Amino acid sequence: MAADLQEAGLASLVDTTISVITNDGRNIVGILRGYDQATNLILDECHERVYSSKSGVDQVVLGGLHVVRGDNIAVVGELDDDLDQQLNLSQIRAAPLKAVQH
Amino acid sequence: MLPLLLLKTAQKHPVLVELKNGETYNGHMVQCDSWMNVHLREVICTSKDGDRFWRIPETYIRGNTIKYLRVPDEVIDKVKEETYKRDEKRPNVFNRGRGMRGRGGGRGEGRGQMDGGGRGEGGRGSGGRGNRGRGQHQQL
Repeated sequence: MAADLQEAGLASLVDTTISVITNDGRNIVGILRGYDQATNLILDECHERVYSSKSGVDQVVLGGLHVVRGDNIAVVGELDDDLDQQLNLSQIRAAPLKAVQH
Repeated sequence: MLPLLLLKTAQKHPVLVELKNGETYNGHMVQCDSWMNVHLREVICTSKDGDRFWRIPETYIRGNTIKYLRVPDEVIDKVKEETYKRDEKRPNVFNRGRGMRGRGGGRGEGRGQMDGGGRGEGGRGSGGRGNRGRGQHQQL
């Protein structure tokens, strides 16, 4: 697995696929290319996963390179590519997340 | 790679900026700073719901109002290229500094330990003061 417990922080996740939950409740999946102290992230090959309780998960290709400001990030998670491939997104039903309450 | 370095390299490129209030600004990045404040030219502003547009010749966006930015793919290659060039310009200074430090530490420790088992006092003597002292005690 990519995460090496010896190494703290996001360093071990660079160049791997990660899943980010933003403060406005979006789930963005992309390859982490860089980060800084403020948790600003560089994400490559971004997709947004739009959840719905009525239909399957809609994978929206955002494309290109994104710089996500740390202020707007709630969660950064490692994504297991193999496990992710096995998911059938069209069958997953889930209510969309609400925005973070400050 | 640092996000702010990527943004600096994105100067003169078209970028999209989404603000925390949901508005988006499309324009050419003129300049950005370490607070992520960005200066754009020839901007198209889109309202949160995406159904109203404004053309603005010039905008300056305070960094802390930004949610995210989108930059063209080629910018990341440009960053890599520029950092490579910068490292190539003065590799000697960089390497020499690290080399000296590495070797100094390595020699002191290495000799002290290795020679302690193998060769006796001669080796230990050059290992450094701390080691020499200890070595002599052991010998006596």
